[in-house]
Amino acid sequence: MATPPIPRPPLVLPGFEHVRRNWNATYGAYAARLLPGEYYVTINDEGIYTTLGSCISACIRDRVNGVGGMNHFMLPASDDPNGWKSTSLSASTRYGNFAMEHLINVIMKNGGQRQNLEVKLFGGGRILQNMTDVGLRNINFVRDYLQTEGLRVVAEDVGEIFPRMVVYFPSTGKVKVKRLRSLHNNTIVDEEIRYITTVESKPVGGDIELF
Amino acid sequence: MEKNAEVIELVKGVGGLVTLPNVFIRINQLIDDPDSSVNDIAQAISQDPSFTVRLLRVANSPFYGFSSSIDTVAKAAAVIGTSQIRNLALSMSVASSFAGLPNHLVSMDNFWRHSLYCALAARILARQAGRVDPEAMFTAGLLHDIGELVIFNRRPDQAKDALLLVLDSMDELPVHLAEQQTMGFDHAQVGGELVQQWSLPPLLRECIAYHHDIARAQQYPREVALIHLANKLALMAEVDTLDVGDVAPCDPQAWAIAGLDESVIEQVVREVQEEVIEAEKLFVGN
Repeated sequence: MATPPIPRPPLVLPGFEHVRRNWNATYGAYAARLLPGEYYVTINDEGIYTTLGSCISACIRDRVNGVGGMNHFMLPASDDPNGWKSTSLSASTRYGNFAMEHLINVIMKNGGQRQNLEVKLFGGGRILQNMTDVGLRNINFVRDYLQTEGLRVVAEDVGEIFPRMVVYFPSTGKVKVKRLRSLHNNTIVDEEIRYITTVESKPVGGDIELF
Repeated sequence: MEKNAEVIELVKGVGGLVTLPNVFIRINQLIDDPDSSVNDIAQAISQDPSFTVRLLRVANSPFYGFSSSIDTVAKAAAVIGTSQIRNLALSMSVASSFAGLPNHLVSMDNFWRHSLYCALAARILARQAGRVDPEAMFTAGLLHDIGELVIFNRRPDQAKDALLLVLDSMDELPVHLAEQQTMGFDHAQVGGELVQQWSLPPLLRECIAYHHDIARAQQYPREVALIHLANKLALMAEVDTLDVGDVAPCDPQAWAIAGLDESVIEQVVREVQEEVIEAEKLFVGN
């Protein structure tokens, strides 16, 4: 039997041209591969996937018109485990706020209605032993953020000791979360550390615009 | 087994870094020597204090049911049996010998924990299947991925690229196929070559070399199928799932060749999860 030809990828929204997309035969759809620190929004029937160690991904969509996306972030290290609470504009939370607000704003700019938004949360695993639980800090931050914004979490799989593979389809809200074997821990942690080091080396008070 | 010249060279290259301890080589010789006695073997073991301590801990562990009454190496050797001593010596020797082969891709704790899950699953499956030595299967399970440690140390960049390919594929591409893409060979081939260069038994070599490709087994198809299945159940125990869809699929022939069926999965996964904490104290770390 001849394999059907792979269709062209759906049009990408402006600003997301750099995100790598692959055809996935299992889902019969294109899927965007998110790296730590990135986010992606789509109005089309395509997937978004990422691997999470202690980072968090929020998957947000308008459940009526299907526009939605995913982010992937973590808060920079802080000596104070409750640092994320102290002020919403602290150095430690601004990157979390940044990641959440960009995702929500781009969804709304493309037709999402705030009252229709539904959120699914993943990640925040404790995959390195003998370290402060950075995953838990990230979970606490994002729950607090969503509560303040009045956004509803309809599903989540957070914490525990596993890295995760998350595949999300904003048009339907369908999501698949797979726990990954520990063989992948170091590869995933390396990616996250490279990202957080880049974030931390940026001067506080840089050009990040908060909404 | 057809030989890949690159694999042979790779394994020769680690020869000086990874060696089996003298105590294992000596025990192995004595067990194969028809003129040696259990006392000779006990004598050889006693030369190595750390192995002596570990052997007594294993002999007195709940696995054997002698409730802490084994206080000499000679008693341990008598009750455990010499072929079992050889398995234990090998299991304990290999973990320590690989300390000379560090890598940045997987922590030794995580590597040996998966190996131990597989060893425990292999032993339980072997008991249920019958007509195979559960302790030999334990050792094969413990060593099934040993080639990874060679690859991770000698080819870190290609090995990392292989792991990234797996993640890019949404974890659908199996690790050994990703390795074949980036290197032209995989960890099973490397592990098989390593145990052959160490002159370990053919049973062990087949289980390690063919655990991802069970149709190629020659003398030991059942044992190879058991290790293949044990590896899947080990992954299920590790990520704490009872859904076979959460791990890479099994070879469709494996259950039939092993003489078992899928109805045992849940019980084996749960038993492995119960045993692993005790077993880690005996086999992982010091």
